Amino acid sequence: MFFIEIKNTLDISSILVVGTLGMLVMAITLVSVIVFHQRRVLKFNRKIQKMEEERQQLLLRASIQSQEEERQRIAADLHDDAGPLLATARLYLNENLIHQEPAIQLQAIFSSKQIIDDAIQLIRNISHSLLPPTLKNFGLEAALKDQFEKINGSGIINASVRFHDNRERLSDEQELFVFRILQELVANIIKHSSAGFIHLTQNAQGKNVYFRIHHDGKGILQQDFEKLEYHSSGLGLKNIQSRVRVLKGKILFEIDSTRTYYKITLEIPR
Amino acid sequence: MSYYLQSIRSEYFIWLLYTFTIVEYSFFCYFIYTILQKNFIKKVVPFIWMGFVLLALIDIIYISKKNAFDSFASGIESIIILLLCISYLFSEIRGSNSLALYSTFNFWVVITFLIYFSGTFFLYLLTNKMYKEASFHRLYFIINISSNILKNIFLCVAMTMKLNDTVNQQKATIPDLDDDLFIQSSTNYQS
Repeated sequence: MFFIEIKNTLDISSILVVGTLGMLVMAITLVSVIVFHQRRVLKFNRKIQKMEEERQQLLLRASIQSQEEERQRIAADLHDDAGPLLATARLYLNENLIHQEPAIQLQAIFSSKQIIDDAIQLIRNISHSLLPPTLKNFGLEAALKDQFEKINGSGIINASVRFHDNRERLSDEQELFVFRILQELVANIIKHSSAGFIHLTQNAQGKNVYFRIHHDGKGILQQDFEKLEYHSSGLGLKNIQSRVRVLKGKILFEIDSTRTYYKITLEIPR
Repeated sequence: MSYYLQSIRSEYFIWLLYTFTIVEYSFFCYFIYTILQKNFIKKVVPFIWMGFVLLALIDIIYISKKNAFDSFASGIESIIILLLCISYLFSEIRGSNSLALYSTFNFWVVITFLIYFSGTFFLYLLTNKMYKEASFHRLYFIINISSNILKNIFLCVAMTMKLNDTVNQQKATIPDLDDDLFIQSSTNYQS
Protein backbone atom coordinates (compact mmCIF):
# COMPACT_ATOMS: atom_id res chain seq x y z
CA MET A 1 0.00 0.00 0.00
CA PHE A 2 2.82 2.36 0.93
CA PHE A 3 4.61 1.57 -2.35
CA ILE A 4 1.44 2.17 -4.39
CA GLU A 5 1.05 5.59 -2.77
CA ILE A 6 4.67 6.47 -3.55
CA LYS A 7 4.15 5.29 -7.13
CA ASN A 8 0.98 7.42 -7.43
CA THR A 9 2.78 10.46 -6.09
CA LEU A 10 5.62 9.93 -8.54
CA ASP A 11 3.15 9.45 -11.38
CA ILE A 12 1.37 12.67 -10.55
CA SER A 13 4.70 14.47 -10.19
CA SER A 14 5.82 13.24 -13.58
CA ILE A 15 2.43 14.21 -15.05
CA LEU A 16 2.98 17.66 -13.58
CA VAL A 17 6.50 18.00 -14.99
CA VAL A 18 5.71 16.53 -18.40
CA GLY A 19 2.42 18.43 -18.64
CA THR A 20 4.02 21.73 -17.70
CA LEU A 21 6.89 21.21 -20.12
CA GLY A 22 4.45 20.13 -22.84
CA MET A 23 2.28 23.18 -22.34
CA LEU A 24 5.31 25.47 -22.38
CA VAL A 25 6.66 23.84 -25.54
CA MET A 26 3.25 24.21 -27.21
CA ALA A 27 2.99 27.86 -26.17
CA ILE A 28 6.52 28.65 -27.36
CA THR A 29 5.93 26.80 -30.65
CA LEU A 30 2.73 28.75 -31.19
CA VAL A 31 4.45 32.06 -30.53
CA SER A 32 7.37 31.12 -32.82
CA VAL A 33 5.00 30.10 -35.64
CA ILE A 34 3.14 33.40 -35.30
CA VAL A 35 6.32 35.46 -35.26
CA PHE A 36 7.78 33.63 -38.30
CA HIS A 37 4.52 33.89 -40.17
CA GLN A 38 4.36 37.62 -39.44
CA ARG A 39 7.93 38.12 -40.59
CA ARG A 40 7.16 36.33 -43.83
CA VAL A 41 4.03 38.41 -44.40
CA LEU A 42 5.94 41.62 -43.68
CA LYS A 43 8.74 40.59 -46.03
CA PHE A 44 6.20 39.87 -48.75
CA ASN A 45 4.45 43.22 -48.12
CA ARG A 46 7.78 45.04 -48.32
CA LYS A 47 8.52 43.32 -51.62
CA ILE A 48 5.12 44.34 -53.03
CA GLN A 49 5.65 47.90 -51.76
CA LYS A 50 9.09 48.04 -53.39
CA MET A 51 7.63 46.83 -56.69
CA GLU A 52 4.91 49.44 -56.48
CA GLU A 53 7.50 52.15 -55.76
CA GLU A 54 9.53 51.02 -58.78
CA ARG A 55 6.41 51.16 -60.90
CA GLN A 56 5.64 54.67 -59.65
CA GLN A 57 9.22 55.70 -60.38
CA LEU A 58 8.91 54.34 -63.90
CA LEU A 59 5.71 56.25 -64.50
CA LEU A 60 7.16 59.42 -62.99
CA ARG A 61 10.27 59.12 -65.14
CA ALA A 62 8.09 58.58 -68.21
CA SER A 63 6.05 61.63 -67.34
CA ILE A 64 9.15 63.81 -66.85
CA GLN A 65 10.72 62.49 -70.04
CA SER A 66 7.52 63.19 -71.92
CA GLN A 67 7.47 66.77 -70.60
CA GLU A 68 11.09 67.24 -71.64
CA GLU A 69 10.37 65.92 -75.13
CA GLU A 70 7.40 68.26 -75.43
CA ARG A 71 9.56 71.21 -74.35
CA GLN A 72 12.24 70.24 -76.85
CA ARG A 73 9.65 70.01 -79.62
CA ILE A 74 8.27 73.47 -78.78
CA ALA A 75 11.78 74.89 -78.55
CA ALA A 76 12.67 73.35 -81.93
CA ASP A 77 9.45 74.69 -83.52
CA LEU A 78 10.11 78.18 -82.18
CA HIS A 79 13.79 78.12 -83.05
CA ASP A 80 13.55 76.53 -86.50
CA ASP A 81 10.28 78.02 -87.76
CA ALA A 82 9.27 81.13 -85.86
CA GLY A 83 12.85 82.39 -85.46
CA PRO A 84 13.76 82.50 -89.18
CA LEU A 85 10.34 83.93 -90.10
CA LEU A 86 10.69 86.83 -87.69
CA ALA A 87 14.33 87.35 -88.72
CA THR A 88 13.23 87.57 -92.38
CA ALA A 89 10.51 90.06 -91.45
CA ARG A 90 13.13 92.12 -89.64
CA LEU A 91 15.32 92.08 -92.74
CA TYR A 92 12.50 93.50 -94.83
CA LEU A 93 11.91 96.21 -92.25
CA ASN A 94 15.52 97.34 -91.89
CA GLU A 95 16.70 100.94 -91.45
CA ASN A 96 17.40 101.45 -95.16
CA LEU A 97 13.75 100.99 -96.02
CA ILE A 98 12.99 104.70 -95.53
CA HIS A 99 15.55 105.60 -98.22
CA GLN A 100 13.90 103.25 -100.75
CA GLU A 101 11.31 103.99 -103.42
CA PRO A 102 7.66 104.02 -102.15
CA ALA A 103 6.82 101.02 -104.34
CA ILE A 104 9.68 99.02 -102.87
CA GLN A 105 8.67 100.16 -99.38
CA LEU A 106 5.11 98.95 -100.00
CA GLN A 107 6.38 95.65 -101.35
CA ALA A 108 8.64 95.17 -98.30
CA ILE A 109 5.81 96.02 -95.89
CA PHE A 110 3.47 93.62 -97.71
CA SER A 111 6.07 90.82 -97.60
CA SER A 112 6.75 91.49 -93.91
CA LYS A 113 3.02 91.36 -93.19
CA GLN A 114 2.83 88.01 -94.97
CA ILE A 115 5.74 86.64 -92.95
CA ILE A 116 4.34 87.96 -89.66
CA ASP A 117 0.98 86.35 -90.51
CA ASP A 118 2.80 83.07 -91.10
CA ALA A 119 4.59 83.45 -87.77
CA ILE A 120 1.28 84.15 -86.01
CA GLN A 121 -0.23 81.05 -87.61
CA LEU A 122 2.78 78.98 -86.59
CA ILE A 123 2.60 80.15 -82.98
CA ARG A 124 -1.15 79.47 -82.98
CA ASN A 125 -0.51 75.94 -84.23
CA ILE A 126 2.03 75.37 -81.46
CA SER A 127 -0.42 76.76 -78.90
CA HIS A 128 -3.25 74.60 -80.25
CA SER A 129 -1.10 71.51 -80.07
CA LEU A 130 -0.49 72.28 -76.39
CA LEU A 131 -4.12 72.94 -75.52
CA PRO A 132 -6.80 72.65 -78.18
CA PRO A 133 -8.98 75.79 -78.06
CA THR A 134 -12.10 73.75 -78.79
CA LEU A 135 -11.49 71.73 -75.63
CA LYS A 136 -10.95 74.85 -73.56
CA ASN A 137 -13.96 76.71 -74.95
CA PHE A 138 -16.51 74.03 -75.80
CA GLY A 139 -15.52 70.94 -73.85
CA LEU A 140 -14.49 67.37 -74.48
CA GLU A 141 -17.32 66.38 -76.83
CA ALA A 142 -16.67 69.25 -79.23
CA ALA A 143 -12.90 68.77 -79.03
CA LEU A 144 -13.13 65.06 -79.82
CA LYS A 145 -15.59 65.64 -82.65
CA ASP A 146 -13.25 68.28 -84.07
CA GLN A 147 -10.29 65.93 -83.75
CA PHE A 148 -12.11 63.03 -85.37
CA GLU A 149 -13.37 65.26 -88.20
CA LYS A 150 -9.79 66.23 -88.94
CA ILE A 151 -8.77 62.55 -89.00
CA ASN A 152 -11.74 61.75 -91.21
CA GLY A 153 -10.86 64.64 -93.49
CA SER A 154 -7.44 63.16 -94.16
CA GLY A 155 -9.16 60.32 -96.01
CA ILE A 156 -6.81 57.68 -94.56
CA ILE A 157 -9.22 56.34 -91.99
CA ASN A 158 -12.92 56.49 -91.27
CA ALA A 159 -13.36 58.09 -87.85
CA SER A 160 -16.57 58.80 -85.95
CA VAL A 161 -17.62 59.87 -82.45
CA ARG A 162 -20.86 59.45 -80.56
CA PHE A 163 -21.65 60.85 -77.11
CA HIS A 164 -24.72 59.27 -75.50
CA ASP A 165 -24.90 60.93 -72.12
CA ASN A 166 -22.84 64.05 -71.55
CA ARG A 167 -25.32 65.94 -69.37
CA GLU A 168 -23.00 65.86 -66.38
CA ARG A 169 -19.61 66.88 -67.71
CA LEU A 170 -16.30 65.95 -66.17
CA SER A 171 -14.19 68.69 -64.60
CA ASP A 172 -11.90 70.70 -66.91
CA GLU A 173 -8.85 68.87 -65.63
CA GLN A 174 -10.46 65.45 -66.10
CA GLU A 175 -11.59 66.39 -69.62
CA LEU A 176 -8.07 67.43 -70.53
CA PHE A 177 -6.66 64.15 -69.20
CA VAL A 178 -9.29 62.08 -71.01
CA PHE A 179 -8.64 64.04 -74.20
CA ARG A 180 -4.91 63.34 -73.95
CA ILE A 181 -5.49 59.63 -73.30
CA LEU A 182 -7.87 59.28 -76.24
CA GLN A 183 -5.58 61.36 -78.44
CA GLU A 184 -2.67 59.04 -77.63
CA LEU A 185 -4.78 55.92 -78.21
CA VAL A 186 -6.06 57.20 -81.55
CA ALA A 187 -2.53 58.24 -82.59
CA ASN A 188 -1.30 54.74 -81.77
CA ILE A 189 -4.13 53.15 -83.76
CA ILE A 190 -3.38 55.32 -86.78
CA LYS A 191 0.36 54.70 -86.47
CA HIS A 192 0.50 50.97 -85.76
CA SER A 193 -2.79 49.20 -86.46
CA SER A 194 -3.55 49.89 -90.17
CA ALA A 195 -7.20 50.20 -89.18
CA GLY A 196 -9.96 51.08 -91.66
CA PHE A 197 -12.22 52.67 -89.07
CA ILE A 198 -12.15 54.09 -85.55
CA HIS A 199 -15.33 54.64 -83.65
CA LEU A 200 -15.49 56.34 -80.26
CA THR A 201 -18.55 55.95 -78.03
CA GLN A 202 -19.22 57.72 -74.74
CA ASN A 203 -21.77 56.81 -72.10
CA ALA A 204 -22.36 57.32 -68.38
CA GLN A 205 -23.50 54.88 -65.73
CA GLY A 206 -23.92 55.92 -62.09
CA LYS A 207 -20.87 57.85 -61.02
CA ASN A 208 -18.69 56.62 -63.89
CA VAL A 209 -18.18 57.84 -67.42
CA TYR A 210 -17.16 55.30 -70.05
CA PHE A 211 -15.36 55.81 -73.34
CA ARG A 212 -14.91 52.98 -75.79
CA ILE A 213 -12.85 52.97 -78.96
CA HIS A 214 -13.53 50.31 -81.59
CA HIS A 215 -11.16 49.75 -84.48
CA ASP A 216 -10.67 47.01 -87.05
CA GLY A 217 -6.89 47.12 -87.22
CA LYS A 218 -4.20 45.17 -85.47
CA GLY A 219 -4.67 45.81 -81.77
CA ILE A 220 -3.34 44.81 -78.41
CA LEU A 221 -4.91 42.98 -75.47
CA GLN A 222 -4.73 43.74 -71.76
CA GLN A 223 -1.75 41.45 -71.14
CA ASP A 224 0.12 43.03 -74.08
CA PHE A 225 -0.62 46.47 -72.64
CA GLU A 226 0.72 45.51 -69.20
CA LYS A 227 3.79 43.92 -70.77
CA LEU A 228 4.49 46.86 -73.07
CA GLU A 229 3.90 49.33 -70.26
CA TYR A 230 6.81 47.81 -68.35
CA HIS A 231 9.18 46.78 -71.10
CA SER A 232 8.54 49.13 -74.01
CA SER A 233 10.94 52.04 -74.40
CA GLY A 234 8.10 54.22 -75.74
CA LEU A 235 6.40 56.72 -73.50
CA GLY A 236 2.89 56.65 -74.97
CA LEU A 237 1.50 53.69 -73.03
CA LYS A 238 3.24 54.75 -69.82
CA ASN A 239 1.69 58.20 -70.14
CA ILE A 240 -1.73 56.68 -70.73
CA GLN A 241 -1.38 54.54 -67.64
CA SER A 242 -0.12 57.38 -65.47
CA ARG A 243 -3.01 59.61 -66.58
CA VAL A 244 -5.53 56.83 -65.93
CA ARG A 245 -4.05 56.43 -62.46
CA VAL A 246 -4.31 60.15 -61.76
CA LEU A 247 -7.97 60.00 -62.79
CA LYS A 248 -8.40 56.91 -60.57
CA GLY A 249 -9.90 55.19 -63.59
CA LYS A 250 -9.43 51.90 -65.42
CA ILE A 251 -8.43 50.98 -68.93
CA LEU A 252 -9.17 47.67 -70.61
CA PHE A 253 -7.91 46.35 -73.92
CA GLU A 254 -10.07 43.60 -75.42
CA ILE A 255 -10.96 41.88 -78.65
CA ASP A 256 -14.51 41.34 -79.83
CA SER A 257 -15.93 37.80 -79.47
CA THR A 258 -16.09 37.54 -83.29
CA ARG A 259 -12.41 38.60 -83.33
CA THR A 260 -13.15 41.22 -86.00
CA TYR A 261 -12.35 44.36 -84.07
CA TYR A 262 -10.56 45.52 -80.95
CA LYS A 263 -12.10 47.46 -78.08
CA ILE A 264 -10.42 49.83 -75.66
CA THR A 265 -12.60 50.82 -72.72
CA LEU A 266 -11.82 53.70 -70.44
CA GLU A 267 -13.70 54.01 -67.14
CA ILE A 268 -13.46 57.35 -65.37
CA PRO A 269 -15.11 58.11 -62.02
CA ARG A 270 -16.71 61.56 -61.90
CA MET B 1 -0.34 38.55 3.31
CA SER B 2 -1.77 35.26 2.14
CA TYR B 3 0.77 33.32 4.19
CA TYR B 4 -0.12 35.43 7.22
CA LEU B 5 -3.82 34.87 6.70
CA GLN B 6 -3.25 31.15 6.15
CA SER B 7 -1.31 30.92 9.40
CA ILE B 8 -3.93 32.70 11.53
CA ARG B 9 -7.28 31.80 9.87
CA SER B 10 -6.71 29.02 7.35
CA GLU B 11 -10.48 28.58 6.73
CA TYR B 12 -10.58 32.01 5.09
CA PHE B 13 -7.58 31.35 2.88
CA ILE B 14 -9.63 29.64 0.16
CA TRP B 15 -11.86 32.74 -0.01
CA LEU B 16 -8.81 34.86 -0.59
CA LEU B 17 -7.65 32.54 -3.37
CA TYR B 18 -11.03 32.65 -5.10
CA THR B 19 -11.18 36.44 -4.80
CA PHE B 20 -7.73 36.67 -6.32
CA THR B 21 -8.68 34.33 -9.18
CA ILE B 22 -11.87 36.28 -9.96
CA VAL B 23 -10.11 39.66 -9.80
CA GLU B 24 -7.20 38.39 -11.92
CA TYR B 25 -9.60 36.92 -14.47
CA SER B 26 -11.69 40.11 -14.54
CA PHE B 27 -8.61 42.25 -15.25
CA PHE B 28 -7.56 39.90 -18.00
CA CYS B 29 -11.05 39.94 -19.57
CA TYR B 30 -11.10 43.73 -19.52
CA PHE B 31 -7.64 43.87 -21.11
CA ILE B 32 -8.41 41.35 -23.86
CA TYR B 33 -11.78 43.03 -24.53
CA THR B 34 -10.07 46.37 -25.13
CA ILE B 35 -7.42 44.98 -27.48
CA LEU B 36 -9.52 42.53 -29.50
CA GLN B 37 -10.65 43.65 -32.93
CA LYS B 38 -14.39 43.83 -33.51
CA ASN B 39 -15.35 40.21 -34.07
CA PHE B 40 -17.35 37.36 -32.56
CA ILE B 41 -14.83 36.71 -29.77
CA LYS B 42 -15.00 40.33 -28.60
CA LYS B 43 -18.79 40.06 -28.33
CA VAL B 44 -18.52 36.81 -26.39
CA VAL B 45 -15.90 37.99 -23.84
CA PRO B 46 -18.38 39.69 -21.40
CA PHE B 47 -20.57 36.58 -21.38
CA ILE B 48 -17.55 34.34 -20.74
CA TRP B 49 -16.57 36.64 -17.90
CA MET B 50 -20.02 36.44 -16.33
CA GLY B 51 -20.17 32.68 -16.80
CA PHE B 52 -16.82 32.16 -15.11
CA VAL B 53 -17.63 34.44 -12.16
CA LEU B 54 -20.91 32.59 -11.60
CA LEU B 55 -19.15 29.25 -11.83
CA ALA B 56 -16.45 30.34 -9.38
CA LEU B 57 -19.08 31.58 -6.89
CA ILE B 58 -21.08 28.36 -7.13
CA ASP B 59 -17.85 26.39 -6.71
CA ILE B 60 -16.72 28.25 -3.59
CA ILE B 61 -20.15 28.33 -1.95
CA TYR B 62 -21.37 24.81 -2.63
CA ILE B 63 -18.58 22.57 -3.91
CA SER B 64 -15.00 23.41 -2.93
CA LYS B 65 -15.41 25.34 0.29
CA LYS B 66 -13.49 22.68 2.22
CA ASN B 67 -10.62 22.57 -0.28
CA ALA B 68 -7.24 24.06 0.42
CA PHE B 69 -6.73 25.39 -3.10
CA ASP B 70 -9.06 26.64 -5.88
CA SER B 71 -7.76 24.14 -8.43
CA PHE B 72 -11.05 23.88 -10.28
CA ALA B 73 -11.48 27.63 -10.76
CA SER B 74 -7.79 28.10 -11.60
CA GLY B 75 -7.91 25.30 -14.18
CA ILE B 76 -10.98 26.73 -15.90
CA GLU B 77 -9.48 30.22 -15.72
CA SER B 78 -6.25 29.00 -17.32
CA ILE B 79 -8.09 27.25 -20.16
CA ILE B 80 -10.25 30.31 -20.90
CA ILE B 81 -7.28 32.68 -20.78
CA LEU B 82 -5.20 30.43 -23.05
CA LEU B 83 -8.06 30.16 -25.55
CA LEU B 84 -8.62 33.93 -25.53
CA CYS B 85 -4.88 34.55 -26.01
CA ILE B 86 -4.80 32.17 -28.98
CA SER B 87 -7.94 33.81 -30.43
CA TYR B 88 -6.32 37.23 -30.12
CA LEU B 89 -3.13 36.07 -31.84
CA PHE B 90 -5.02 34.44 -34.71
CA SER B 91 -7.31 37.43 -35.19
CA GLU B 92 -4.24 39.67 -35.36
CA ILE B 93 -2.56 37.42 -37.91
CA ARG B 94 -5.67 37.33 -40.07
CA GLY B 95 -6.06 41.13 -39.98
CA SER B 96 -4.23 42.79 -42.85
CA ASN B 97 -2.12 44.92 -40.55
CA SER B 98 1.24 45.86 -42.00
CA LEU B 99 2.63 46.61 -38.54
CA ALA B 100 4.92 43.96 -37.05
CA LEU B 101 2.83 42.26 -34.40
CA TYR B 102 5.85 41.44 -32.26
CA SER B 103 6.72 45.10 -31.92
CA THR B 104 3.50 45.94 -30.08
CA PHE B 105 2.84 46.18 -26.36
CA ASN B 106 -0.39 44.14 -26.56
CA PHE B 107 1.35 41.21 -28.24
CA TRP B 108 3.93 40.87 -25.49
CA VAL B 109 1.34 41.17 -22.71
CA VAL B 110 -0.72 38.42 -24.37
CA ILE B 111 2.44 36.31 -24.75
CA THR B 112 3.10 36.85 -21.04
CA PHE B 113 -0.33 35.49 -20.17
CA LEU B 114 0.06 32.63 -22.61
CA ILE B 115 3.42 31.50 -21.24
CA TYR B 116 2.52 32.04 -17.59
CA PHE B 117 -0.78 30.17 -17.71
CA SER B 118 0.72 27.38 -19.87
CA GLY B 119 3.45 26.95 -17.28
CA THR B 120 1.18 26.94 -14.24
CA PHE B 121 -1.84 25.14 -15.69
CA PHE B 122 -0.96 21.63 -14.45
CA LEU B 123 0.56 23.02 -11.28
CA TYR B 124 -2.62 24.75 -10.11
CA LEU B 125 -4.77 21.90 -11.35
CA LEU B 126 -2.91 19.36 -9.20
CA THR B 127 -2.22 21.53 -6.14
CA ASN B 128 -5.42 20.61 -4.37
CA LYS B 129 -4.60 16.91 -4.66
CA MET B 130 -0.91 17.11 -3.84
CA TYR B 131 -0.33 20.01 -1.49
CA LYS B 132 0.31 17.63 1.40
CA GLU B 133 3.18 15.84 -0.41
CA ALA B 134 6.62 17.08 0.56
CA SER B 135 8.07 16.33 -2.91
CA PHE B 136 5.35 18.46 -4.46
CA HIS B 137 6.37 21.53 -2.47
CA ARG B 138 9.77 21.57 -4.19
CA LEU B 139 8.19 21.14 -7.61
CA TYR B 140 5.59 23.79 -6.81
CA PHE B 141 8.34 26.20 -5.82
CA ILE B 142 10.44 25.54 -8.95
CA ILE B 143 7.57 25.74 -11.45
CA ASN B 144 5.89 28.70 -9.79
CA ILE B 145 9.09 30.72 -9.47
CA SER B 146 10.22 29.87 -13.03
CA SER B 147 6.83 30.87 -14.44
CA ASN B 148 6.90 34.10 -12.46
CA ILE B 149 10.41 34.92 -13.68
CA LEU B 150 9.36 34.24 -17.28
CA LYS B 151 6.23 36.36 -16.77
CA ASN B 152 8.28 39.26 -15.43
CA ILE B 153 10.79 39.06 -18.27
CA PHE B 154 8.02 39.14 -20.88
CA LEU B 155 6.29 42.00 -19.06
CA CYS B 156 9.56 43.93 -19.11
CA VAL B 157 9.74 43.42 -22.88
CA ALA B 158 6.12 44.61 -23.14
CA MET B 159 6.96 47.73 -21.13
CA THR B 160 9.88 48.45 -23.44
CA MET B 161 7.50 48.26 -26.39
CA LYS B 162 5.10 50.63 -24.64
CA LEU B 163 7.95 53.05 -24.07
CA ASN B 164 8.84 52.96 -27.77
CA ASP B 165 5.19 53.55 -28.69
CA THR B 166 5.08 56.63 -26.47
CA VAL B 167 8.29 58.02 -27.98
CA ASN B 168 6.95 57.44 -31.50
CA GLN B 169 3.67 59.12 -30.62
CA GLN B 170 5.55 62.13 -29.30
CA LYS B 171 7.49 62.29 -32.56
CA ALA B 172 4.27 62.08 -34.55
CA THR B 173 2.79 65.10 -32.77
CA ILE B 174 5.41 67.44 -34.31
CA PRO B 175 3.44 69.64 -36.73
CA ASP B 176 3.91 69.40 -40.46
CA LEU B 177 6.17 72.24 -41.47
CA ASP B 178 5.73 71.94 -45.24
CA ASP B 179 4.53 75.01 -47.05
CA ASP B 180 2.02 73.19 -49.22
CA LEU B 181 -0.93 75.22 -47.94
CA PHE B 182 0.79 78.55 -48.57
CA ILE B 183 1.96 77.47 -51.98
CA GLN B 184 -1.58 76.41 -52.88
CA SER B 185 -3.17 79.64 -51.65
CA SER B 186 -0.61 81.79 -53.45
CA THR B 187 -1.07 79.98 -56.75
CA ASN B 188 -4.85 79.74 -56.64
CA TYR B 189 -5.48 83.25 -57.95
CA GLN B 190 -3.31 82.66 -60.99
CA SER B 191 -5.37 79.78 -62.29
